[in-house]
Amino acid sequence: MKKSLRFGTALALAATASLTLASCGFGGGDGGGDSAGGKTTLDLLVPSYSDNTQGLWEDVITGFEAQNEDIDVKLEVQSWDNLETVITTKIQGGEAPDIYNGGPFAGFAADELLYPAEDVVSPETFSDFQDSFLANAEVDGTAYALPLIASARALFVNNALLEQAGVSAAPTTWDELLDAATKVSKLGGGVAGYGMPLGSEEAQAEAAVWLWGGGGTFGDAEAITVDDPANLPGAEQIKKMIDAGATQADPGSTDRTPLMEIFVQGKIGMQVGLPPTVGQIEDGNPDLDYSIVPIPTKDGSPFTLGVMDQLMAFQNDGDKQEAITKFFDYYYSADVYVPWVQAEGFLPVTKSGAEQLQDDEALAPFLAVLPDAQFYPSSNPKWQATDGAFKSLFGQIQSKPAQDVLTEIQKQVDAS
Amino acid sequence: MSSTTDVSPNPTGAAAGRPRPGGAKAPARRGKPGGRDLAAALPWITPALILIFGVVLFPAVVMFYNSTRDISLSGLDKGSVGFDNYVEVFQFPYFWPIFFRTIVWVVVVVAFTVVISLGLAQILNKAFPGRQLVRLVVIIPWAASVVMTTMVVYYGLEPYFGIINKFLVDIGLVDTPEGYGWTKNPATAFMWSIIVAIFVSLPFTTYTILAGLATVPGDTLEAAKMDGAGAARTYFTIVLPQLRGALSVAVLINIINVFNSLPILRVMTGSIPGYDADTIMTMIFKYIQNQHKVDVASALSVVAFIIVIVIVAVYVKVVKPTKEV
Repeated sequence: MKKSLRFGTALALAATASLTLASCGFGGGDGGGDSAGGKTTLDLLVPSYSDNTQGLWEDVITGFEAQNEDIDVKLEVQSWDNLETVITTKIQGGEAPDIYNGGPFAGFAADELLYPAEDVVSPETFSDFQDSFLANAEVDGTAYALPLIASARALFVNNALLEQAGVSAAPTTWDELLDAATKVSKLGGGVAGYGMPLGSEEAQAEAAVWLWGGGGTFGDAEAITVDDPANLPGAEQIKKMIDAGATQADPGSTDRTPLMEIFVQGKIGMQVGLPPTVGQIEDGNPDLDYSIVPIPTKDGSPFTLGVMDQLMAFQNDGDKQEAITKFFDYYYSADVYVPWVQAEGFLPVTKSGAEQLQDDEALAPFLAVLPDAQFYPSSNPKWQATDGAFKSLFGQIQSKPAQDVLTEIQKQVDAS
Repeated sequence: MSSTTDVSPNPTGAAAGRPRPGGAKAPARRGKPGGRDLAAALPWITPALILIFGVVLFPAVVMFYNSTRDISLSGLDKGSVGFDNYVEVFQFPYFWPIFFRTIVWVVVVVAFTVVISLGLAQILNKAFPGRQLVRLVVIIPWAASVVMTTMVVYYGLEPYFGIINKFLVDIGLVDTPEGYGWTKNPATAFMWSIIVAIFVSLPFTTYTILAGLATVPGDTLEAAKMDGAGAARTYFTIVLPQLRGALSVAVLINIINVFNSLPILRVMTGSIPGYDADTIMTMIFKYIQNQHKVDVASALSVVAFIIVIVIVAVYVKVVKPTKEV
């Protein structure tokens, strides 16, 4: 989760810069009392998504403090690599931040450290969140975190290749996809119909696209269920695609990043991509004639693989609930939130934000599928092991029976 | 990584093993001022001892200790499990294929490296214009980062844009226009890894043999010439036996190096699913990286450690590297 939202090595530099900045200039006060001069102080701990993160948050805080003069917000920006160590250390030292931006939160919720989301935002703000994201922030039916940003996937289609192969419309179901991809593959000259990256880089993502698209699931917060009959149709369909020659050669060991490059160079008919892929095409081959459509599924019902990061509020002394609520309401108002998300290059998690960005040509196709986003069971403690098992084993589906591969993955997860 | 440092004392131990008895007996015969001698020597050898204990023995002990513990995903020690981790290592269905692949890996890489190096060293030992330059060039694979060298080959082998693939397509050896997925199939990826491993092992081996060649006295060659021995005969009966010392050191160090080599296979076979191109080293890496099983990885490291010791012991016994010619 962290990884997928972490763009570029520039972050490391940004983080270093932010650290120094955060530790000296910012905040004004001496960092002493929480309510010096009758002011409430909110500590905000966030990771650095890009070079802009620090500045974006500072803008938000300046605007917020101008409206609420009795609240003082102190910003601390950390790199993703340090973030979890920092938060753990702070919690152990009894100095948890009031607001924290991070990935996994189930552990904090279980330790009763967090405010339920509903208690720290107004009902209007709360109802503005996309339901699928809110559902992903729930532990035992209560949302303990506020969705912050999202990323979703969609199918990138090379229009020219499809036209050449005589396919009139982009596929929406598996059958259409198989048919279209087979036709494109038959064009020859090294052209592949469907780019299927099952190599270790991000096998779990391509696996989710297929298994979930067929009605399957990896499980939930309690149990990981990879070896489940519901996952079999998707796995079988992958084999069908490979056996029909509808994919590039050796899908089982092809990594996503290099394969995307080949799509950008116009040698692949269709491949699942992310919002940043749009920029990648812009840089690498701006002449590419492509469109972005929802990921085809077994029966054509909409679905996408989503990834999201959250904001959460810690119940430190219990007396800052009001200030936190004010801050969140201000932050999630469309005028503040949308430019923030846009500048960071992610997708908004609020309905109002999605509406406002509807006209953004690059983001629109992703926004359209956002309400149907499904997520990795990342609040399950075994998710990390599952992720690893997919990376190292799932590609074998190219040569082994689908059922055997699912069983082997489940076995490795259970053994962890 | 730790196992690299762990096994390193063996070559020196092995090499020093033979002369040591003679040397050790000498002070014992002098009487028994051993205690005072030791006290006097201690300040001088302490830094070395600290280094040996801290860098060599301590990690080895920790590795062995970890291999008998149950360590959680996040690294918490949950107590002893005896030899359960070893049971898991040996019950892993791919263990024996991986074991034999490791042996193939070591034998093939070391054998080719040594044979090619013998030839290279012979060439570099001849006086010819520009020899200095050629000798420098031979060092390049050694000086360059192994990961970088491997990456260059890896990208060259990529279908669609790899230069090696492009070349093979252009000369008609590969008939799919986008090239062949050399690094996408276990057998070919393993083969190319062997080629890269030989390439990066050549400089060290060549130079060791070159140093050996420099010690071959000119008069023995002259004598052979006077007795009418041909080039081949001179080489095999005069030069090669005198290279014994250099060769055996080169082989020994190469065995350990190649056995413990991770980066080449990691890069070349990293994207291949399953365990059909793994050696013990990449398997240790997969245990840590993908499965977060530090305990099982430690157990496999100990197994690897023992395998290296056995190989080295057999080698030393059979070849007797320090025996005088």
